[in-house]
Amino acid sequence: MRVTPGMTADNALYHLQQGRTANDALLEQISSGLNINRPSDDPLTTRQLLDLQDQISSGEQYTSNITKGKLLLNVTDTALGGMADTIAQAKKVAGSLSSGSSDPTTIASAVSQLTQLKSQLIDYGNTQLGNQYVFGGFKNVQPFSSTGTFNGTDDSLDVQITQSSQVSTNVSGGKLLRGGTPPPVVGTGATAGNTPVDILGSIDALILAISGNNPSGITDGIKNMQAAADQVNASISDVAGRLTRLDNVQTMITNNQNTLKGIYSDKQTVDYAKAGVELSQQTTAFNAALSATSKISQLSLLDYLK
Amino acid sequence: MGISNLFEVANTAVTAQRLAIEVAGENIANVNTDGYSRQQVIMTNKPVTTSNGFPLGTGVEVQSVRRSYDGMLQQQIVNGNSTYQQNLARQTALTQIQPSFNELATDGLGKAVDNFFSAWSDLSANPQGTAERQALLSTTQVMVDNFHQMSQTLTGIQTTADNQLVGITADVSENARGLALVNSQIMATNAVGGNANELLDQRDLLLRKLSEKIGITSTLQSDGTATVTLTGGAHEPLVSGNKYATLYTNPNGGKNDILITGVGNPAPAAIPTLDANVTTTIGGPGNSLGELGGTLQVRDTIVPGYLGKVNEMAAQLVSAVNTQHQAGYGIDGPPPTNLHDFFLAGGTTAATISLDPALTANTIAAGLPTASDPVPSSNNNGNALQLAALKNASFGFSTGSTTFAGFYSSLVSTVGIDTQSAQNTTIQGEAFLKQLNTLQQSNSGVSLDEELTNLTKYQQAFQGAAKVLNTATEMLDTILGLVR
Repeated sequence: MRVTPGMTADNALYHLQQGRTANDALLEQISSGLNINRPSDDPLTTRQLLDLQDQISSGEQYTSNITKGKLLLNVTDTALGGMADTIAQAKKVAGSLSSGSSDPTTIASAVSQLTQLKSQLIDYGNTQLGNQYVFGGFKNVQPFSSTGTFNGTDDSLDVQITQSSQVSTNVSGGKLLRGGTPPPVVGTGATAGNTPVDILGSIDALILAISGNNPSGITDGIKNMQAAADQVNASISDVAGRLTRLDNVQTMITNNQNTLKGIYSDKQTVDYAKAGVELSQQTTAFNAALSATSKISQLSLLDYLK
Repeated sequence: MGISNLFEVANTAVTAQRLAIEVAGENIANVNTDGYSRQQVIMTNKPVTTSNGFPLGTGVEVQSVRRSYDGMLQQQIVNGNSTYQQNLARQTALTQIQPSFNELATDGLGKAVDNFFSAWSDLSANPQGTAERQALLSTTQVMVDNFHQMSQTLTGIQTTADNQLVGITADVSENARGLALVNSQIMATNAVGGNANELLDQRDLLLRKLSEKIGITSTLQSDGTATVTLTGGAHEPLVSGNKYATLYTNPNGGKNDILITGVGNPAPAAIPTLDANVTTTIGGPGNSLGELGGTLQVRDTIVPGYLGKVNEMAAQLVSAVNTQHQAGYGIDGPPPTNLHDFFLAGGTTAATISLDPALTANTIAAGLPTASDPVPSSNNNGNALQLAALKNASFGFSTGSTTFAGFYSSLVSTVGIDTQSAQNTTIQGEAFLKQLNTLQQSNSGVSLDEELTNLTKYQQAFQGAAKVLNTATEMLDTILGLVR
């Protein structure tokens, strides 16, 4: 084939351009630290990376939801612990008067104690996190009035913790302290100690029985207090169960996130050693091309003609 | 054969070698001229006569100055140019579009949509929170801005492509006029029996330039002129002999139509109502020919395709979110606002999507009625949960049933594939053209070394011929001296 200096020049330019392009691509990878800098670099992997990004961001959102849920449940748990102690005290007061008493001082003291304990339970029932009442359900008004009327709702306040599952972050105050909405009739005789029990109503009935020195009413009250303790304890273990579940899901998400981030980084983070070696190879090749170009393009018959 | 014949022989040699040196000079002068084909002097010996009983030639004559030229290669370069320029136009537009979809480097529309649903999820965890409600509003505004930005970028590229058509058609018309002029000069040169080598080079160069812009079919006539018709559509004539047509654009409903006049010299005036409208055919099948084809493809296929997908996503988002939002209640009142939209119901494209003007932080419908909470209270998060769950819900998109994120990711991936394929075909086309040009250069290019050698060769032959003349003169002097 006949080769002209024009062809040599064109070829040299073309190959120098190729060398520069290759160098430039490597330099971009190294300086950005990313294997894929734009979708066209590798459309298929881009699709995978975007899906991974989406999953990672979902995981972050679920983690944030879980943290908020745990906060609410922990506050609820503390309140429930307080309620359990209060009910235990109420039970003790009732127990000390199980056979009745006609001593007005004893009666007055017991009534005053029980009244105090009832307000304490109502206070616990009005526990707030920030400005949110944890036992109020959907309504954000003080769930219990001073007499113990429940003004909240029994709805469950759910948060999304995985793509397919939600967890309730609250305990219904109405069901917990009033046994339901509307509250069931306070158990007497054979029905005493049945659950669900209207705890606040039972304390009211107990106060009446003690004031009226009614031993069978007091015995019913003791049974009801036992049922109340069971009811609160059931809630405590329910909340503890939910907290454990949240912990487990959080651990699972964290593990999952680590795996996903690992895969993402595997695909997307530049292997500097490899890129460095490639850059050095490219640079050598490019240098050689430059040097060859400068030598070849100087050759001309003109230098030898006299 | 007499001495005078010797003069005759030497004279032909001096003339021929001088012409050869002139051609070498012309070649050297045009070593860097675009489209120039090197010329060679073809010498033959003159008719043989009998001299003293021996047949001898009567000197040398220049039979022709031949242009080193390969018509087949020229045709391939013309075709290669058309495809290459089409791909280049596509690649240029796509590399401008791609950054808008580059979710790998920067957070774009995909991330904004993700954040939008995350904000609903945050709201579901604290439905009466003022901060969460305000965050949802501003996150939505960011997403809406992203949609607008995307729409503006794509529309901008479409407008640029449309404007480029004006320049391209003007260029084509100018080259067609130039080719018609060259054709008429070729005819004139042929009429006087001249050598039209340089004009043929210009003709080929103009054909190559035309083929870069649009798909053409060229036929070389026996008189050396080129006849050019459009490849696409009804093969409208562009250049025929010294007549040429004008290709021009005519605004029609916000876009440029491409029209072509009949041929003439000068070309007939443009009359949009009468001239042939070749907008849909000039680019060839699928707008696959020339820069014009590529530009038309960008304007009429690529950008509308992407814009359609983004619009589809906006429409689906507006409809899905509004439908769910209408089921819920705000926390204003009493009574709380209900049965209202989140997005402006009429804004169902990427350009027009916007928040419902009546929406405020407190009228965001996070609550969903339940049996025990028939008029949702402030802590009711039912609807926020439902809206956050739309993130993972599948919708019937034109590409199949998928989530918003899935639909957008596949759009990003499509843009990536389109850009990659345009880049790859451009690189291949470049390599192919380079190979063709190398072959053509090898055949037609001027080599300085070769010309310098030729120069020396012809110079020495010239000196030799002069020496013959010198000898003949001395011989004649000698003979004349005999009779003194």
